[in-house]
Amino acid sequence: MNRPAFRGVKPPRNPIITGVDLLPRTDPKTVLRINDISVSFDGFYALTDVDVEVKRHTVHFFIGPNGAGKTTLLDIICAKTKPTAGTVTFYPVGREVVRLTGMKEHAIVREGIGRKFQVPSVFVNLTVLENMVLSLKGHKGIWDSIFHRVSEDEREQIDTVLQKVDLRDRREIKAGSLAHGEKQWLEIAMQLVQKPELIMLDEPAAGMGKAETEKTGEILKEIKRECTVIVVEHDMEFVKQAADTVTVLHEGKVLTQGNIHDVLADKTVQAVYLGRGGER
Amino acid sequence: MTKLKNQAGNLCFSLIIIGLAVMPLLMAAGVAESPLIIFLGKCVAFSIVAIGLDLIWGYTGILSLGHGLYFALGGYGMAMYLKLRATHGAITEFMHTGGLTALPAVWKPFQSLPLTVLSVLIVPAGLAYIIGYFIFKNRIKGVYFSIISQALTWAAYSVFIALSPYTNGNVGITEIGSLAGKIRGSANQGRLTLLFYVSLAILALIYATAAFLVRTKFGKLLIAIRDGENRTYFSGYRVSRYKTFIYVLSAAIAAVAGAIFVNFNGSITPSQMTIAFSVNMVIWVAIGGRGTIVGAVIGALLVNLCEYNLSSGGMIEVWQYIVGGIFCVTILFFKGGIMGLFREQIPAFLRKLKVRGGQKVES
Repeated sequence: MNRPAFRGVKPPRNPIITGVDLLPRTDPKTVLRINDISVSFDGFYALTDVDVEVKRHTVHFFIGPNGAGKTTLLDIICAKTKPTAGTVTFYPVGREVVRLTGMKEHAIVREGIGRKFQVPSVFVNLTVLENMVLSLKGHKGIWDSIFHRVSEDEREQIDTVLQKVDLRDRREIKAGSLAHGEKQWLEIAMQLVQKPELIMLDEPAAGMGKAETEKTGEILKEIKRECTVIVVEHDMEFVKQAADTVTVLHEGKVLTQGNIHDVLADKTVQAVYLGRGGER
Repeated sequence: MTKLKNQAGNLCFSLIIIGLAVMPLLMAAGVAESPLIIFLGKCVAFSIVAIGLDLIWGYTGILSLGHGLYFALGGYGMAMYLKLRATHGAITEFMHTGGLTALPAVWKPFQSLPLTVLSVLIVPAGLAYIIGYFIFKNRIKGVYFSIISQALTWAAYSVFIALSPYTNGNVGITEIGSLAGKIRGSANQGRLTLLFYVSLAILALIYATAAFLVRTKFGKLLIAIRDGENRTYFSGYRVSRYKTFIYVLSAAIAAVAGAIFVNFNGSITPSQMTIAFSVNMVIWVAIGGRGTIVGAVIGALLVNLCEYNLSSGGMIEVWQYIVGGIFCVTILFFKGGIMGLFREQIPAFLRKLKVRGGQKVES
């Protein structure tokens, strides 16, 4: 394994790195490179040497049984958890390469990476519109938040995104009184309006009925035209519907990856995961 | 109709201000007794600190049980100036007793009014910034924050008592007048009334600022932090900065309140720095209604009005129990306090009645 030179060294203050210590980009289509990530919680390895490349404009699924480390991996990408070893590197279009490991959450968001949590976490006491306004790209400082007014252009952006998830007519409703599925969509919409290059969704279809799940799949297919989507999911039907690439995690290790048909045909995958009815 | 509903808070506040403003006129007419103005002045101070507390607790969800610290710091600053004015810049008696021969350096800035006003604002705000910076940066929140805020207040209380040559310890700074001169007696009533109106104007200004802030995106963010701090981080906001900012703002508001309080109280003692007093402030906000701004003002006024009328007679011993009881009932059954009662519970009750009435007609 070619370990990066800066492994284990305190990350530089400015996470944008240039020059020699940068990993060569193997593929120009790569938007995110997860490089030999390991994480241990008090000696227990939740992830071991996970090495994945995510390609631009794809829907990339991470699947695996409970405890396989899927959510932990998302936590590492968006800096909620620090890895014990390894780095995550982000390759934005037309900008310098960014090393995400060691950055703060809010800074990662500002780089253009959005995250939707497992439990729908919208701001329940604010209206749908207010939720969206808070999620707009830019103007995140204290001063700006006091004096900046939402522009006509931003209003249109919000409307367009809300249209996509069918919440446009419910703008003035408090997010807390939306149905469960609608909250999930609102949270996805909140990520979209930030105009991210990469959007991570943790079980977006959890607790949804069949029709809602299918619609969520359609939404994913639509948004991948503008950004890259990483999804953690249990529901195999949903995976089949929307996935371009699938990575199977098992006990913190990458079991296999590839397109959905190869993965489904894989014997080991069937043994550890699908053989058990795919968790549902 | 919805516009009217949105303006209900401001309307309510305007009525309160008008009500307070006519009080001195009533006194002049002889309807109300004259010591009332001293009490009302203190009420204005309490309302101001309640607004600050509502900003951090009601909106941002940071429960500070030690806001008495900032209130008292503001109060001490003002009291030091007033004391030096009473002694004409000379060293005070308690300093003599404490063995000091010259005016200590910390007292020197309080010889001038502009410097006093400045330090009343800057010292508490600076302290709040240091405390807030470290606490919020390390993501200490919820009940842990409340405990730390209590502990810090207790520590400051002990320090103020221990440094008795500088602060007069337990007794505090007493025998001072107001900025407008003597407080007691009727001779100075006119100037005291003027001071009262100035305080009222400050209350209105702080209310307007707070009401403006909570209407902007900043205000929505405070609610967002309260309801989902994690989500707010992952929406790209530096939550710790926002929390520090609102904490400092609220500390400065508390200090202004403390400075006004001293002018009407005629003394400042470490008892304003106690946890008990700090918890009292929280009770005002809870009873008035969290997260409404105007609720904080209503709560502070009502509770103190009751205390003023009840605690002078035979009720003095039971009063604390009554407040405690009201607080418990509010927390258990009326989470929104008085404002919540009017905004949600009563309309919901009326709707219920209507529905029932409708059913009866049908059957």
